[in-house]
Amino acid sequence: MIEKGKISGLQMAILLYPTVVATALLILPATTGQFAKQDMWLSPIWASLFGYLAVMIAYRLHHYFPQETFVQYSEKIVGKFPGKLLGFGFLFFILHTNGMVLRDYGEFVTGNFLKQTPLIVMIMSMAFVCALAVRGGLEVIARSSQIFLPVFIVLFFLIILLLIPALNPKNMFPVMDEGITRSIRGAFVPSLWFSELFLISFLLPYLHEKEKGLKWAVVTTAFIMITLVTTNLFTLLLFGDIASSFTYPVMDAARYISIADFMQHVEAIVMAIWVTGMFIKICIFYYVVVIGTAQWLRLSDYRPIVFPIGFVLVSVSMWSASNLQELTHFTRTSWTFYAGLFLIVIPIVLLLIAKVRHKFPKKQSH
Amino acid sequence: MKRLFKPEKRLLTIVLCCIPIFLSGCWDRTEVNDLAIIAGVGLDRTDNGKIELSVQITNPKAIGGPGMSSGSGQSGQQPVIVKTGTGKTIYDARSKLQEKTSRQLFEGHNRVIIIGKSLAETGIRKHIDFFARFPIPRLRANVFFTDGKATDILKVIPSFENGESAEAARELAELKIGMNVTTKDLLQQLASSSGDTALPKITASKSKLGEGLKVNGTAIFKNNKLTGQIDDKVTRGLLWLTDAIETASVTIQPKDAEGYISFKILRSSTELIPTIKNGKWKMIVRITTEDDVTENETKLDMMDPKIVEKLEKQMEKSIDKRIQLVLDEVQTGMEADVFGFGEAFERTYPQKWKQQEDQWDKKFPEIEVVIKSDVKIRRPGRSGGPQGVPQEKEKKK
Amino acid sequence: MKWLMVLGIVVVAILMTLYEWPKINKEQKREKKAFVVLTAGSVILAVVLVYFPAMPGPTQLVDAIFKPLGKLLEQ
Repeated sequence: MIEKGKISGLQMAILLYPTVVATALLILPATTGQFAKQDMWLSPIWASLFGYLAVMIAYRLHHYFPQETFVQYSEKIVGKFPGKLLGFGFLFFILHTNGMVLRDYGEFVTGNFLKQTPLIVMIMSMAFVCALAVRGGLEVIARSSQIFLPVFIVLFFLIILLLIPALNPKNMFPVMDEGITRSIRGAFVPSLWFSELFLISFLLPYLHEKEKGLKWAVVTTAFIMITLVTTNLFTLLLFGDIASSFTYPVMDAARYISIADFMQHVEAIVMAIWVTGMFIKICIFYYVVVIGTAQWLRLSDYRPIVFPIGFVLVSVSMWSASNLQELTHFTRTSWTFYAGLFLIVIPIVLLLIAKVRHKFPKKQSH
Repeated sequence: MKRLFKPEKRLLTIVLCCIPIFLSGCWDRTEVNDLAIIAGVGLDRTDNGKIELSVQITNPKAIGGPGMSSGSGQSGQQPVIVKTGTGKTIYDARSKLQEKTSRQLFEGHNRVIIIGKSLAETGIRKHIDFFARFPIPRLRANVFFTDGKATDILKVIPSFENGESAEAARELAELKIGMNVTTKDLLQQLASSSGDTALPKITASKSKLGEGLKVNGTAIFKNNKLTGQIDDKVTRGLLWLTDAIETASVTIQPKDAEGYISFKILRSSTELIPTIKNGKWKMIVRITTEDDVTENETKLDMMDPKIVEKLEKQMEKSIDKRIQLVLDEVQTGMEADVFGFGEAFERTYPQKWKQQEDQWDKKFPEIEVVIKSDVKIRRPGRSGGPQGVPQEKEKKK
Repeated sequence: MKWLMVLGIVVVAILMTLYEWPKINKEQKREKKAFVVLTAGSVILAVVLVYFPAMPGPTQLVDAIFKPLGKLLEQ
């Protein structure tokens, strides 16, 4: 195995939590609110079902190939050439998505805080930091996220707490006046964000306590769901119908905080949450691309390709869209199917084939 | 340290030396002394249809300067600077204004937005967008309406708040004497199905004793255009109806006694209960308040439960009257739904609301409003019976 | 301005190579090949992007494939 580090189940959970939450946190109310209106706080609950599904698929596949990642076992399941093709497609998807995530990060920081700073500088500096973490290996990423996550969570709850006086529960009603359909429509895009949990396929082989992997993955999915429901609920109670009209509703919510005339202007907290969360998210995606490429090319070490891939990543991120509107439109439409294909459909097909082969092993040997 | 100078680590040293260049964020470096901190924004419309933007800039020399302790403005130093610029849009006007200002305009600490009458009459919706799109302003800023020009309000130098009228206006809004509307609230109301909204009206009061600001009355906007104004008294009714009343006093004259009795409202809650029966739309307004007696001019004994009960009944009537006043003026007069009746119906009867949404404008003035107020007098205050009256002359009933 | 960016890209690539090359073992032929190909590829991509930033990229490719489905989500 090319990754020598080992992580614990808790560390895996800590890595996965920001992987989904980081992007969702800022734009989720805008994305779901557009469809779900005042039922948007329900959407993450439906969306989390996809999270469980992705975790289950990854776990079942891991069960058949305990030492291998997606890129490796896809070759074993469907044969060498189709497997390579699948692996390439998957890596391309992750690289492209990571580029978009990186771009999202850059757009947010330049759009809200450092307005004059060129986008490329934001993206390059983040990519560089992530490259260093990825080069350090899985353990390094896990430990840095262990340091960052408590900060992330404490700051998040601070924002929520400070917002309480400004909330108006009336904004929530009527609940489900058009039945459940509206909230399900709102759940469509976030469900694919939850599906990103399929990336545990690349973490499970490096777990200390294999038996606890599933437990922690399920726990983290539940926590992600709770966090996202809280985010949506709070923005809804604050902004009501206009929640989805902001680009970054949570950001505007934080800017609204004013307690006793001195506890105000705390949006830097949102920036801190976003940057720490994004760092871990980009690291995980980056790591998956690097380790996947190394396995795809059958290298003995992944470290030499970390920087070149980071270079490609920056290019892809600049290349992925010409502006924020295009990026957002893409993530809300085509990307969902693109992600659904690679994170849900292909893994399910692979799992079914693996099951069939497992049941009738003799047919294969002949 | 020595390790960094080893030949094999030299590259790392170079990289490490280069990294700090990025840490300063050179592109967006702004020094406080390069900023013109805007405390308040005023919006007016010129005769040829352009936007006149006035800003109130805090004068850094006047705040915290050495002359501060002996009163501001002592050496002719103005506490604030008011500047105006005109343009096609707010941002256009802002850039014109920037040309005249040696420091970079900064709205991050903007506390109030004052809308002049001329702009209010032509619609405010399109101008609020700037405050929700431009990255710097906050949605917390309080929005006011003024009958004259917004610039005049910004120019007022009140006695409190270091002579900053923007801060004074914000404090007035926080006291909740009139309506307290933030940019967020305004956006929400404009986005609601009716698009009707109300803004507190702010006026400058000038007297021999000095300048000041006061919030008196409310401006009513129908479909984001100014349609009418209501005075202070009617505004109280509006506050009761929208559950925004906080610091209020009620004074009544008891029927069977001479003089007045004043009450201070401790807490009050208003509930809008919409009902639709046989196609008839009805709104039940349920108000519950708790009050303390603060002044008793009459000879009534405030400790007598029977008297208190009578007074409660009378207060209920007085509240009903105030609310009726605002209903007459705003609901049937201006036909503007600033009470949130529409939303209340939408929340309780979402299906029926959808059928009626288009005709809400016609339907709204016809809605029957039933006011059910419940007043609870909790405590008599520090004294029981009337003060300065011999025990035997107290009125007992 | 553009040649400056190209120069920057080349400098970054050289720095990367200077840092990484001595760390790769002599026997690791595959790794060396992968490193060279990836670095060269990324430099070419970056330089092309400097001159043609609006060039259709992976997003447009994916968009073209999934457009019919993506339309379902547009409101």
